[in-house]
Amino acid sequence: MQFKALLIDAYRQLSAAKLFWVTVGISALVVVSFGSISFNTEGISIGFGAYQIESEQLREGSPWARGLYIGIFSSLLVNIWLAWIATILALISTCSIFPEFVHSGSIELTISKPIGRLKLFFSKYLVSLLFVIMQVAIFCTGIFFCVGFRIGEWNPMIFAAIPVVATFFSYLFAICVLIGIVTRSGITALLITGVFWMLLWTIQTSETILNRFVTQQIVDIERFDEGIITATEELDKIKSVSSEDIRISKLEKRIESFQDNSEEAAELLAELNMWHTPTSWVLALSPKTAQTIGLLDRWLSDPDGFDIAAIMSGDMREFEGEELEEFDPTTRNARERETMRRMRDDYENRPLFYVIGTSLLFEGFILGLASWYFCRKDF
Amino acid sequence: MAVIQLQDVEKVYRGKVHALRGVTIEVMDGEIFGLLGPNGAGKSTLVKILMTVIHASKVSGTMLGNPIGNRKTLKNVGYLPEHHRFPYYLTGKQVLHHYGALCKVGRKERNSRSSSLLTRLGLAGWENKKVNTYSKGMLQRLGIAQALMNNPALLILDEPTDGVDPVGRREIRDLLAELREEGRAVFLNSHLLSELEMVCDRVAIMVKGRVTMQGTIQSLTVDSQRYEIKITGEMPAWAKEHCSEVNGNMLVCKGNDPSIVQPILDRLRAENKTIVSVKPVRENLEDLFMRAVDNTDSPGAIQ
Repeated sequence: MQFKALLIDAYRQLSAAKLFWVTVGISALVVVSFGSISFNTEGISIGFGAYQIESEQLREGSPWARGLYIGIFSSLLVNIWLAWIATILALISTCSIFPEFVHSGSIELTISKPIGRLKLFFSKYLVSLLFVIMQVAIFCTGIFFCVGFRIGEWNPMIFAAIPVVATFFSYLFAICVLIGIVTRSGITALLITGVFWMLLWTIQTSETILNRFVTQQIVDIERFDEGIITATEELDKIKSVSSEDIRISKLEKRIESFQDNSEEAAELLAELNMWHTPTSWVLALSPKTAQTIGLLDRWLSDPDGFDIAAIMSGDMREFEGEELEEFDPTTRNARERETMRRMRDDYENRPLFYVIGTSLLFEGFILGLASWYFCRKDF
Repeated sequence: MAVIQLQDVEKVYRGKVHALRGVTIEVMDGEIFGLLGPNGAGKSTLVKILMTVIHASKVSGTMLGNPIGNRKTLKNVGYLPEHHRFPYYLTGKQVLHHYGALCKVGRKERNSRSSSLLTRLGLAGWENKKVNTYSKGMLQRLGIAQALMNNPALLILDEPTDGVDPVGRREIRDLLAELREEGRAVFLNSHLLSELEMVCDRVAIMVKGRVTMQGTIQSLTVDSQRYEIKITGEMPAWAKEHCSEVNGNMLVCKGNDPSIVQPILDRLRAENKTIVSVKPVRENLEDLFMRAVDNTDSPGAIQ
């Protein structure tokens, strides 16, 4: 009964805020825009038939059409709309919930009731997440029907965005709650949460950049070592025929160059690891916002192996029907692609406990601090 | 039976502010008990300790038979904090339902109690209006209604008439008297002495974190009872010997027994003195309060 009362109160508080309805309105607009994209026998139609783009691949029933449609949802709508814009609006709307709750004159009325402080704190925290849950639930329902009607796929995994986005938001909201309770100021809570979010973004971006350099060096070392083996085999073959062949010195120089490059890459790798390892540890201990949102990409990935992420990053070969060549470590062109593939594999293979579990542990620590402060505080 | 029994309550805030210094108080069932004191005396701190809003540094005692701090006890206690703030987005009825539900009052009971309380507190017709449209006095009445939602055996009101007009104050006083008749105990925290004097059965005066006086107003003022005899003409020479005090043409005889003034009156008449008036006088609560409080230390503490 008490939880229900707090739930109803949270709903009333949120629905009284104009920003809540503004966000619902913008969400509806985004869903309608998404639903305006459809596929027909000739290609892709945008704006409920206002624009028609003819395409061989993006036709009704094609796996690419499915991949593109789901990809727009998981890569654009979730990553940009839900993970950034809607989250900022949600933080603005909810940042004052706890400061208002602990405001002098208001808190006395609530904590003087027969409800434990800890229960009260966590009930209030959970019902405050209602804002995001409601927003994302409305959004996902719209997207679910769009996807169903447009590509004939009734994919319940779309609703996975609700817990994923709510979990992602909860990392930030925990900080907002702690600051809100201590300072009793919504603006301060919002600002510090914003700074914290930027800090997380910096840590994650730094780790990604460093990981990319590290992976590049590993790929390079493998590429150079492979080059040394190939060149050595060729050299042995030539030497077995003639020891005065003109190609021998060229190959020896190439092997020497590969060895130098390999050593150089190994040195750089050791230097990069000095930065990458501590950054990885910091990331491991902090909430992984981007990787949490990235889970949707994993779960919604195309069963036919269509790689929407590659298309989104500008690699159109698969989309254009071009055959993907096997990784040839001796070609420089393959270096970037192999680095990206390994990085994607690395992030996609990171266990759920690493992505969500450690983030929730951090959130639990922050909430523990906030609830301890709330329970001990004399109001 | 005592509904509140407190012994040696201490509260020391961080920074070594000693807000309460061994407070001992007893509130009996079915009485209106007034706690008075200047601002900063520790009245609200004491009330907040009872309501678990503040943690005491040291406390022993019971409230409704349970140890202080027991949350289950709060189900039977109604509380109106000073300067309370209701969520602006709720209507009067929603406020009562919300706080009633937090007190574990069932839906049916909430419905019936909210309607009757809104009517009883003169808020009928306002139940569906947002509280941000209410006046200060209406908010105070709604606060009292909120405190009564759980049909409490003990009502703790912190400055209940703050911001209420004279008519509203009278209505609240009448309501408190009705609640006493219903058998509820009321713990009233106020610095409006005249208000307290009119409704309280017993009072305690708190100064600088200590209870300096406690009891019925009558018992606390019994020592101050006296008779004032006003005469005209010259004051007889014997007056100073037979009266406690002589003040101009006024004779003051301490005590509450009328027989003590009879011989003086007889003698005055025998000497053909004109007796203008004979008045039994007793300290009022304000006099008592001023006696208890070093008023130089508490400017503006009373109204």
